[in-house]
Order: sequence, then C-alpha cells, then structure tokens
Amino acid sequence: MAVEPAVREPAVAFAGGLGIRLRRFGEISREVLRNPTTLIGLILIVGMIGMAVFAPLLIEPNTPNPNQMPRDWGALNEPPGTPGHVLGTTQQGGDVLYGVIWGARTSLRLSLIVVSLTVVIGLIVGSLAGFLGGRLDELLMRLVDVFLSIPELIFALAIAAVLGPSFGNIILALAAVFWVKYARIIRGQVIHIKQNEYVDAARVIGDSGFRIYMKDVLPNSITPVIVQATLDMGNVVLIGATLSFIGLAEAGLAEWGVLVSQGQAGISAGRWWASTFPGLMVFLWALAFNLVGDGLRDILDPRTESRR
Amino acid sequence: MQIRDYVLRRLMVLPVLIIGTSLIVFTLTRVGGSPIAIYLSHEMTPEEVAEIEERYGLDEPLPVQYLTWAGGMLTGDWGWSGVAAAPVRQVFPNKLGATLELAVAAGIVAVAMGIGLGTYGGSRRDRLPDHLTRVFSISGAAMPIFWFGILLLIVFWVGLGWAPIGRSNADVFSSITHPTGLYIIDALLAGNWTALVDAIWHLLLPAVTLGFGTTALIARMMRSSLVETLSEEYVDAARAKGLPEKLVLRRHARRNALIPTVTVIGLSFGFLLQGTVVVEIIFRWPGLGRWMADAVLRGDQATIMAYVMFTSVLFLLVNLAVDVMYAYLDRRVVLGS
Amino acid sequence: MKLRSNVNARPLSVTLVVLAMVVAACTGDTTDTTGGADTTDGGEATTTTGETTDTTAPTTGGVSNPDTFVHAADDEPTSLDPAQVEAGEGGETVILQVFDRLVEFSPEGPDLVPGLAEEVPSADNGLISADGLTYTFPIRAGVVDHLGNPVDATDVRFSWDRVLTMDLPESNVGLLADNVASTEAPDAETFVVTLNQPNAAFLNSVVTQSVASIMSEEFVEANGGVAAGQPNEFIATNPVGTGPYVFEAWNRGENMLFTVNEDYWGTPANLDLRIEIVPDPDVRVLGVRAGDYDTIETDPSFVGEVEGAEGVTVFQGEFLLEPIHIGLNLNFPADQLPDTDTIPADFFNDPRIRQAFNYAFDYNAFINGALGGFGAPTPFYLPQGVLGYSEDLPVYEQDLASAEELFREAGVWDEGFTISVIAEQANLFEVAALVLKDSLEGLNPNFSVQVLAVAEAQFDEAFASDPLPYAMWVKNADPFADPHAFMNEYIHPDGNWGQVHGFRNGYQDADQIASMIDEASIITDPDEREAIYQELSALLYEDPMWIIAGNEVAVMAHRDWVQGFVMNPLWPRPSLKFALFDKG
Repeated sequence: MAVEPAVREPAVAFAGGLGIRLRRFGEISREVLRNPTTLIGLILIVGMIGMAVFAPLLIEPNTPNPNQMPRDWGALNEPPGTPGHVLGTTQQGGDVLYGVIWGARTSLRLSLIVVSLTVVIGLIVGSLAGFLGGRLDELLMRLVDVFLSIPELIFALAIAAVLGPSFGNIILALAAVFWVKYARIIRGQVIHIKQNEYVDAARVIGDSGFRIYMKDVLPNSITPVIVQATLDMGNVVLIGATLSFIGLAEAGLAEWGVLVSQGQAGISAGRWWASTFPGLMVFLWALAFNLVGDGLRDILDPRTESRR
Repeated sequence: MQIRDYVLRRLMVLPVLIIGTSLIVFTLTRVGGSPIAIYLSHEMTPEEVAEIEERYGLDEPLPVQYLTWAGGMLTGDWGWSGVAAAPVRQVFPNKLGATLELAVAAGIVAVAMGIGLGTYGGSRRDRLPDHLTRVFSISGAAMPIFWFGILLLIVFWVGLGWAPIGRSNADVFSSITHPTGLYIIDALLAGNWTALVDAIWHLLLPAVTLGFGTTALIARMMRSSLVETLSEEYVDAARAKGLPEKLVLRRHARRNALIPTVTVIGLSFGFLLQGTVVVEIIFRWPGLGRWMADAVLRGDQATIMAYVMFTSVLFLLVNLAVDVMYAYLDRRVVLGS
Repeated sequence: MKLRSNVNARPLSVTLVVLAMVVAACTGDTTDTTGGADTTDGGEATTTTGETTDTTAPTTGGVSNPDTFVHAADDEPTSLDPAQVEAGEGGETVILQVFDRLVEFSPEGPDLVPGLAEEVPSADNGLISADGLTYTFPIRAGVVDHLGNPVDATDVRFSWDRVLTMDLPESNVGLLADNVASTEAPDAETFVVTLNQPNAAFLNSVVTQSVASIMSEEFVEANGGVAAGQPNEFIATNPVGTGPYVFEAWNRGENMLFTVNEDYWGTPANLDLRIEIVPDPDVRVLGVRAGDYDTIETDPSFVGEVEGAEGVTVFQGEFLLEPIHIGLNLNFPADQLPDTDTIPADFFNDPRIRQAFNYAFDYNAFINGALGGFGAPTPFYLPQGVLGYSEDLPVYEQDLASAEELFREAGVWDEGFTISVIAEQANLFEVAALVLKDSLEGLNPNFSVQVLAVAEAQFDEAFASDPLPYAMWVKNADPFADPHAFMNEYIHPDGNWGQVHGFRNGYQDADQIASMIDEASIITDPDEREAIYQELSALLYEDPMWIIAGNEVAVMAHRDWVQGFVMNPLWPRPSLKFALFDKG
C-alpha cells in the first residue's frame, strides 16, 4: 500500500444547501477566470471543443466515413500553401487541415468516453471498498496496487497490443488503466467520512447508508474527482495519441497520433508539416486541460499534493 | 521501529504484487491475443501450424503454460523472441544497457536543469522568471514526447545537420571493447576520446527529449516547495538574524525544499521508463523500448511479457525505495493504513 | 513541512548512476554470435554489441569503406539455415552469398549456369532422362567449405535429405518433398535425382532455390546433427557453406559481417561484405547519400528522394516477379466472415462480380501513386519476364462504366454490399487495400469496403487457416522463374490456392484450365508452352480469380562508385550477388 499523507479536510465543504453550493460555484468560477494561465487554458479548451463539435461545418466531411482521412492519390506530399491544402498533404494524399480538425473530434470522443467510464468504474469500486471494508476492501486495493505497479503507458500498450489495432481497443486499454486513480480517491473519501463524527450523528438520526453516501461522501469527493477528471481529459488524449503513434490505431484514421506517425517518414526529406501540425494539436489539447486542472486544484485544494 | 516494520510489511507484500502482475500479464496476452502468430509464416498449412504450437508448448492447458512461463522467468528462460529471432534472455542485456544509458542521461539532465530552474523561479516568486518557469513546467507535463522529439529532429538533424541519430557510429563503436554495455563508461574506461565524443554526441538529443517532461516536473516541485519553505518561520528567523538572502537560500531553504523534490525525482523514474519507448522509436535507439514497440506491433508475446514484468518489478522496487525514503524523512506521515 | 535541517538528501541521480554501474557490471559480458562459438555465456566481450550507424552530412570525394561492400537491408533474417528459412524472408540473401547450389541463375536472366554441378542438365546433353524423371548432376571436384571440409556428391545428397528429414513447417521443404522421389550419390562426383512426375520447371524452380543449398555432412554432424522436426539452432545462426562469402558475425538488430572466401572454386569476391539492418527508409536514404551505404533496399515510393542526389544512381531493372494481388475467396463459410460483411457465401462464384471488381480498381492510383510509376499492370498469371508474357496479353484497366454494368447485371448494384479485405499494415499491401476501398466506394455509395490492416503476425496467422475467414486479402505472389509455378500455385483449380479458396466453385470450365496447366508443365518445347500459356491468360481474363494491383519494377539506389552492378529478380531479394561487385 503506498504511503498517503494524512487525509486532509477538503478545503471546500460542499455539505450544505443548494444555495450555498451555487454561491460557492460562482466564487470558484471567478477565481478561475482571474488566474491568467487557467484562463488561457479555458480559452484553448473552448476553442478545441468548438472545433471538434463544429467540424462538419468547418470542413467538408469525408465520405463515406468522416473519421477516415480523405485520400487523394494525385496530391501526395504537397507542402503547406498548396491551393486546397492550407497545411499540406500527407504521403497518402490526406489533407493535414482535415486531420487537425477531425482529429479534435476524435480526441473529444476518446477523452469523454474514457473519462466517463473510468469515473464510473472508479466510483463503484472505490465506494464498495470503502463502505464494505474488510476482506473485499483488501482484495480490491490489492488489485489496485497490482494495476498501479505496471507503468501506465506500458500497461495500455500491452492491452491495446493484444486486443488489436483499433480505436475501440485504445478506449478499452486506456479505461482499464485509468480507473484506479478514481477508485482510490473515492475510497479515501469514504473511509475518511466513515471515521468522521457527523456520520455517526447522522446514523443516530436514522439516515441510511445511501443517504449518507449521497449527502456527504459524493459531494466531498467531487472536488478531487473533478480535478483528476480535468487532468485526465488531457492525459487520455496524450497517451492515446502516443499509442496511435506507436501504431495501434486503425489504418487511415483521422487522428493526431496516426498523422504524426505517418508524417515521420518524410522528415528526412524535409516534409515537416505532416507531423508538426497534428502534434501541435496534441500538445495544445493536453496543455489546455492541464492548465485548467492545475488551476482548479490550486483553487479547490491548495494544500493537496498529488503523488502521481 | 515503525519504519522497519513498514519496510518489512512492504517487502512481504512485494511477491504478492509481482505474482498478481504476472497473472494479469499472462492472462492478458494468452487469452486476449494470439501467442503463436509471430512464429508463423504465411505459407503454413493448419498441420504445420499445429507443429509450431507443439514446439512452443502452446498446446498445453493454460495453467500449465502459466507455470512453465513463470518458472522460466525465475530460472532464466524468458522465451523466444520472434522479433529478435533469439532467446529473450540473450538479447535483453544489450538493449538494457542502451536504455539504461539513455534513461540515466535523461535523468541527470532533468535533475540538473529541474533543480536549477526551480530554484531560479522559486527564489524570484511571482516575478517574470517565476512565471516563465511555471509556463515551462506546465508545458513539460503536457508535451507529447513523440512530437517534441520529432521537432528536435527536424531542427537539429534535418535542418542544421548537427545531431546524428542512432546510438553510435558503427566504426567508432567497434573500435573499443564494451565491458559494461554503457557506451560512455566504456569509452572512459578505454580512454578513447573519439568514442566518448561519439557517445555523448549521440546521446544528447534523445536525452533532452526524454528528460524534458521530467525537467518540468522537477522544476515545478522544486519551485513550489522552495516557495513554501522560504516562507517558513525559521527562515524568517534567519533573515531576522541578519543573514544575507543568498545564504538563507543556500543553507536552509534549498535543502529542505529538496526533500519532496527527491520524492518527485524517484517518481519520475516511471515517467522516464515509459518515455523510452517513444524516444527510442524516434531516434532509432537500439534499446528495450524500441524492442517492445516492435514486439507490440508484431504480436511477439514472449518479448511483451518479459518487458512488462521487468518494468513492473523495477517500478515496484523503485516505488518502495521512494516510499521508504519519504517515510524516513517525514516522520509525521501515516505509515500504511 | 517542517524538517530537521541536518537531513541532507543527496539527489537520487547519484544513486541512479551507481545503480547503473552495478547493473552494467552484470550486463557487461554480452556476446553476440560469431562463427564457431558454441555458447553465448562465458565468452569474452565482443567488439561490437552492435549499434546503428549514424548518418550525418554527405561525404565529398573518395570511396567510403574501400575494402568492404556495405548494403543496407530493410529487415533482419530469422534463420540462416536453408532447411529453416522461409521463402522471401531476409535469410535467403545470406544463403545466396554463403552457400552454393547445383545450378544457378546467371546474372543476366533466366538462363541457368553451373554451380556445384559442372554442367546444367538438359535433354540435349543427356543429363535429363528421356522420360523427364531422372536428372544427373556431375559434381565439381575439389570443393571445400569454409571450414575446409571437402564437399562432394554425398554431401549434396545429405543436404537435401537433411531438409526432408527436418521437415520444418516454416521452411520451403515442400519444393523438395512434392517433386523428389529419391536421391542417390553413386560416386563422389555424381548426384542423381528421380522425380515423382516430370516437371519442366524442376531446375529453375527447385534446384536453384535456397532450400536446395549444399553444406558438408561433417559440418552438420559436428554441430547438432539432424533431428526430425527440430530446428538446428547452431546452423540457424552460423551458416557454413561453399559460397564466395564466409559468414563471420551476426550482430542482432545491427548488421551481419562476411569476409571473402579466398579458396572459392569460382571467381572470388573482390570485397568483404557488411549487411546493415536498417528498417527505416529515410535512414537508408540518408545513408546512401552520405556514402555510408553502397546499395540500399529501395522502395519505389522513395525513389524521388535519391534520384539526382550527388554520387547516387538509381538502377531500374526488370520487373520483380512478385505481383501484388488481391485474392478473392470462393470458399468461406458465410458465418465466419467479420460481422459487418453482408455478402453471401457464393458472392464470388459469379464471374461478372469478379470482372466488375477488376474493372473498378484504380490501377493508375496504385501504380503511379503508391509505386511512384515504377510498376505496370500484369496479365493472369504471367508476370513480366517469365516465359509466356507478352505485352499483347489482355490486362484490366479501370473502366467504371463496365464495372457498373456488370454489378447491375449481377444484381448487387442497388442493394450494395459490405465486404472486408485483410492486409498487412504499414506497407504496400495496406495501400492496395485502401485503393480498392476508395475505388469501390467511389463507384457506388452502397458499396462498403472495410480495410483490416493488421500486424504481419496476425495476417500470417489468419492466412494459415483453411478455409480463410475473409472474403478478400492482399499479398504479393512468391517469385518463381517458371510460368508453371505461378499457374500451378495461383490458377490451378486443384492447386494450393485453388483448393483452399474454392476455385472450382467459380471457374466456368475448371477442367479445361487444369488440363492446360498440366499439359504445359510436361512439354519441353518452350514455344509450345508459350502458346498454351498465352491462350490460358486470355481465358483467365474473362474468368479472373484475382485482382492484380500491379507488378513492381526492380529499383535499387546505389553509389556511383559501385562497379559491375547487376540485379536479377530471380535471385532472392535484394536480388544481388555481392561477389560480383567492386568499388572504385
């Protein structure tokens, strides 16, 4: 079991009525907007999500499958600035701008699905472990430890490798690796609350376990979960792009990692654009979510130190 | 003593974790994928496929296969690597040396630059250097290693023609003996200046690429703990005593800010380890990471399993060491649960 | 956090360095295989653990590595044992340099020249019996292998028998097993082979191949002997033959080293040889431009990078004998296809569908795009360069109107279909699959082609199944010298592919095709054979079992200072015999 610092009281107590919560939310939002780096992150996020959502309006979707790069066998390896291809084309005649824009869509899908899955799984496992305690808790936490003993990327790599190269399998691989953090967070909160006095008081009043859970555990856990989820929105895309770069995505997909990998071969010939622009997008995406996530962490839990 | 109990307890759990990891790895590869594929050629008939299955023991029931494999891991038979066309155990040491050299070099770069930058930023809090350090740090965490490496290649390899790729110049490399498997050390031992320059010259770009993310992480940690420490009471006391700021910095603040930084340095190990996979691909570095990437793409399960086990055990040991050091240094920390 | 100030935490980096040195001491004595070593531990540290060469600015003037010829290959062998190596695999080129066979292809073309046999058997010189079943080879006297062991007819027999005994599934033993009834060595200078049935292609399709390479019995017995069904690990990494090059070392992942065989019975090589293993095409390109490599494995797609570079010439030779084709499966259980496929089990039985696919494919995009123009369409199944090929034979060109018409006639136009095609990822096969996809989907939006680009290992595994659970796949043909081999393998209704893929379900007149192929295989007059093959090709045009995407031209980039450069696609890839070259 890894050492954890003494669990601190959440700096933000969400316990309380709806009115208090809304006011607190307003306070937090103002703080977020006041911090310049966080603000930049937020703007970037809005921009990229906008690009993802409005992709079909920004650029003509490829038929029949818009998630595949369009291939123009007559326009291979064109440099940026060629008419019709602002950012150039790839070695299969794919428009780099198309890849940049639709890649955002792919990334949004990937990160939303993986983060949702992992939060839910982590919630379930963490709550079970925390509430029920005893043998089940030990077993589940051992499992978590085993999962944590394999470095993230390598674990995801191995999973995606055996499942086969496809986008769906990358989702599975990432979900299988990322859920553990949430399990730990939730479990920690549950245990902390269990030890806390007002739970005993609530029990005396007659609140059922479920009510305690909804009223106390979940709201108190939201903070670290939100911070982690924000950071993960960025990191999922980062690691997902790395997996695609190594070669675990399907052929011809309009995804940033795939494009960087394809563009690599042309570098020695001076064809820098096929790798540079998609790679830049991965960086900006991860940067944006990291900036906002860090900002949130500073505001919501300024004294918490993350160990991983 | 509490710490000794703690260490003992962690050590006893270690084999359980290792076995657990091995079960996961084995189940994943055997049940999820196809272990035989790498050994086949496209001309084989189903009968020939069956012969190959028998040769590699893939027709045995799964528990038997697991025991054979696990037993082999412990006794030194790590299977046959389809990618390298040789026993895994035979190919491993070479590649380990290459990766180790890269990781250590990256680590040195990261520590040196990270501590330096963190101190620089932390000591000039909220002024321009501090903001720049913060931006740099966050970029580091978000930076895709594969993109950064390719950018560096574009600028330094293709554009300026300075840096080479690969680990060495074949002729220079073969002009010295290699007792340690680490090129720089071997060159030093041989007293061969050309080889040393060759080694460092090739190591430069990959080490910077690999170390970049960790540099940012360390700089960040250093900066924030320096800031925290600088505001501690005894530092104020030192200032009140009239000690010059620089001395305050050097004698008190920095040393104490190092402690959490040390933890982070240990944790960066995992980061560096994973980064080698991508960096080795990009810079054509003949190490474990690239071997694993090939194995992954070509379904070479023997290599995948050996690599994952090796990195996991290493990771576990380093984490244990770090946690113990952390517990030792900060006695207030709750040990275990 | 407050801490005692006398704690002095040293940076972990120092610890790491110390750790590294300790670990390094354990990893230090790595050895790589060198000729003659029997185990890998306990040896002293070798001079090279092998590293990739660096590539920097190009050299100007002067020949690099004047005593060694350096070739950059794109993949690494898995075995160097003729009894184990797969057809088309990297080990074959090593076997070509290190071993001899009874007869060889001359550098100029499909003509045969003597190897370890002093004369090439033919009907004229009487060394082929009248019934075509017996071949007699007079063996050269005084030949020794690289260790000094004498090699004579008994060793020839031993070498062939060894392959048959080991019978390794990954090897090409089928060539011998299917053809050879018995072998004899009545004396030290005569080797006699009796075939199962007459085969006009025996010499050029079997005797010249890697699997028929010759080694000395003493060498084998001293190094593991022969065991049925078992690979010989020593010989797989330490080949010893009679050829112009002596194998010295194999530095895995890096290079292979060979020295000149001074005692070669033929013309000795001029230079030592180093084969560098460089999977990255751009590293090969930079290497040849810098002068680090003399020849490089060249892909048509990057010829543009080297063309016109200073000091580099791009040799354009004959066509390779490995057309890239898309196979059509007439023998799949409909429930075993990928779930998305909507085609019935008898989809390809209808020749109109097969013709329509052939008309739909965009050959232009593939040949001019992916192959960079270094290719051409190919008639069925006669690649450019084999007997029977002629420019006048009908080949398919993209004709979308005809395709549509045929699809409508066959009744699939309105409803459309979804079909999967499996291919190896990240190479020309994937590209051909994508071109097929774009061609069909561009023709009719109701047509959907799923491209399953999988790792080579996965592809091989799927391919080894019988029946194949995919409707279409992309691969290239194995190179053969004789039209019979192509026809038998890829066209004959009862041949290998014919059976696995159910050609009889689709051929309009399977028996006619079978009898034409069988007839042509026993006739010895080349003109008569040619006539039959050409008639066959025209028939096959109407009844195609494949889509041939294109046949690649042999290209190779090499330094100007290479003298005597010649390529023969009949030699295993890269189709070079390095002993013929010089530099200067």
